[in-house]
Amino acid sequence: MSGNKKIKNLKEFSTSADRFEGANLLCPGCAHSIIVREILNATNDDLILSAATGCLEVCTAVYPYTSWDASWIHIGFENSSTAIAGAEAMHKALKRKGRLKQPDKTPQFISFAGDGASYDIGFQWISGCFERGHNMMHVVLDNEVYANTGGQRSSATPIGASATTSPSGRISYGEKKNKKDMLSIMAAHGAPYVAQIAPNKWKDLVKKIQYGFDVEGPVFINAMSACTTEWKFAPEDTVMVSDLATDSLVFPLYEIIDGRELNITYRPKTVVPVEEYLAAQGRFKHLFKDQYKHMIKEWQDRVDAEWEYLQRREEARV
Amino acid sequence: MQDNGWNDFEIGAMLRSFDGAVSDIANTQQEDRAYSSSNSFTASVADWRIEKPVFNKDFCIDCQFCWIYCPDISIIARDKKMVGIDYDHCKGCGICVEVCPTNPKSLLMFIERADEDKALTEWPSKEEK
Repeated sequence: MSGNKKIKNLKEFSTSADRFEGANLLCPGCAHSIIVREILNATNDDLILSAATGCLEVCTAVYPYTSWDASWIHIGFENSSTAIAGAEAMHKALKRKGRLKQPDKTPQFISFAGDGASYDIGFQWISGCFERGHNMMHVVLDNEVYANTGGQRSSATPIGASATTSPSGRISYGEKKNKKDMLSIMAAHGAPYVAQIAPNKWKDLVKKIQYGFDVEGPVFINAMSACTTEWKFAPEDTVMVSDLATDSLVFPLYEIIDGRELNITYRPKTVVPVEEYLAAQGRFKHLFKDQYKHMIKEWQDRVDAEWEYLQRREEARV
Repeated sequence: MQDNGWNDFEIGAMLRSFDGAVSDIANTQQEDRAYSSSNSFTASVADWRIEKPVFNKDFCIDCQFCWIYCPDISIIARDKKMVGIDYDHCKGCGICVEVCPTNPKSLLMFIERADEDKALTEWPSKEEK
């Protein structure tokens, strides 16, 4: 039996006892810990966690401190997913042999990784885990940049963003390539559940996470994590920027069940122009110069086209 | 905790979050847990702050927006009520103030050295829209 909490409203949710501790070294206003808290609070089950090298790992496990109140492991940059897959395989084997100390409990296996550790460096390992079909959840904390090492571009960095290895200037408008469509890639692995979440839509987030816990097989979650340091906005604006991202459809919230059934889970009442999302962040500041103004229209057209495509996929069920 | 040189660290390290055996942490609130000295709960990041949030319970409607969006587990909510702020772990990011929906806000930022009781007397009154 799964220990998913029954959460009707925020007041009920707030009775949760956090299993993630403060005095970690994440930046003030970091969305990583908001996402981690919301995910861990969604269940009462025991947790077996891992984290890939990245902001979350280096900031929550600074020797001699740990910020995790659950079993947590860190091995390398690329293998947070395989570390958890190994733990899951061991759990299964011990269960079969009847050697589990608490056989009635079903722990949840979650691996956390940044976009660098999932989209680029750990991709092969994640692909392997999903192909083997471990009963685990892989959560990408997608801040669209290698924030931990100083803001180098990753394959999640969107077009036009200024990163330290793709800086904007007189000649360049910053990153030239568009973001990789990781959700479609993972859905194509035949994963039973793939979803995109954002911390500001906590109810949608908790619902998706609980569905992911219940489902048998590998689950891929892409969580938008607004980065105050690398996206360059004030720490208190994290939730505001996240709202802009979901309401401007730059970061649409949807899920794909069994690789076919696509559901859009959040439709903004009023769609905000993408320009507002771009204007809220320092990394897109140069796009408002006359020289690069055409990029804003390009952004809007692309976001509109992607939204249209998602809606068609939702209707078509293929 | 004693200071170690760079070559004194073990290659793999295991840190225990709690002292002794624990069970059902998911249903145990922070004040009832036996934290070990290697849990970051026992550390403090209070010196990161330039401004601190001050809580005025007169205007609070217990919506818990501050609780859900606090990145540092510094909003203490018990029995569906907002109780106060954990100043040991608050980094002063100001998200709680931004998301507070009441008019006037029941959380406001004041400079770190401000006296809390004095801050409460300086609270702004209701803003007409």
